[in-house]
Amino acid sequence: MPINLLHRHVLEDHISGFETNANPNHLSVIRRPVIFSVLAHAGYEAAVAEALHNADDIASRYCSPSEFLAVSQTRGAGSVAEFLTAIPGASFVNQSDGFVLMAISGPSVRAILSKCLAVDLHPDTFGEGHSAAMMCCHVAANVARTGRNTFELLVPRSFAGSVFDELMEAGSAHALTRGFAD
Amino acid sequence: MASLITCPHCGTRPKEEFSIRGAAAPKRPAPAAKDEVWHRYVYVRDNPKGRVLEYWHHVAGCRRWLVVDRDNFTHEVFGVMDASDFERVRGVE
Repeated sequence: MPINLLHRHVLEDHISGFETNANPNHLSVIRRPVIFSVLAHAGYEAAVAEALHNADDIASRYCSPSEFLAVSQTRGAGSVAEFLTAIPGASFVNQSDGFVLMAISGPSVRAILSKCLAVDLHPDTFGEGHSAAMMCCHVAANVARTGRNTFELLVPRSFAGSVFDELMEAGSAHALTRGFAD
Repeated sequence: MASLITCPHCGTRPKEEFSIRGAAAPKRPAPAAKDEVWHRYVYVRDNPKGRVLEYWHHVAGCRRWLVVDRDNFTHEVFGVMDASDFERVRGVE
């Protein structure tokens, strides 16, 4: 049973001030996402990936051939756990408290992220629905493309403040705004 | 040093995401092998100039062990494979 540390979000101190309206380039922090780490047993890798891909309201994030993150912004932890239990050959653990989920969107999103990532984000090589583990602002993060100009980042909780500050600095030239997605 | 490594699971990545362990060419001897053979496996390494096989760990990516076939003089990378595939191929030979 994870200790619920999310009553006060880890980025609460970083998001304060008077800006209330989001600019076209916006970084939104999702308050209480449900995040499960899923490991596929040997021989079940493809079946587990397929089951996660077809799940309703659960986004599957690719980490390695046998490791995935299941992310949901709408379903509760109990419901996701129930779904994962039904997948044969999968082990999972609730990591909701261990990760921070941020969504960055806007016309300049690639220019902003190119200051933080050393990976080619052109749609031809990193298309919609693609996700991978990579270094973001010197932190091992999971980056996913959810739309043409929308990306989602999963960052370990203890590094989220540093990544958030670097993202805001990278986005300052593009008038990046930030806020909780409520 | 080769600056871009194409991980078979993650795609082309900068070398900063990896940690290098060492030569992949030495084969682990049988447990009952002679002390001299074990000494050679554990301590004695060639220091070649040119093409080398090395274990690289993709720390900030898929966290898998890879075997990188590269030239330490020209920095050219000839191929990258998962360490489990490397062992399988080597076992067959």
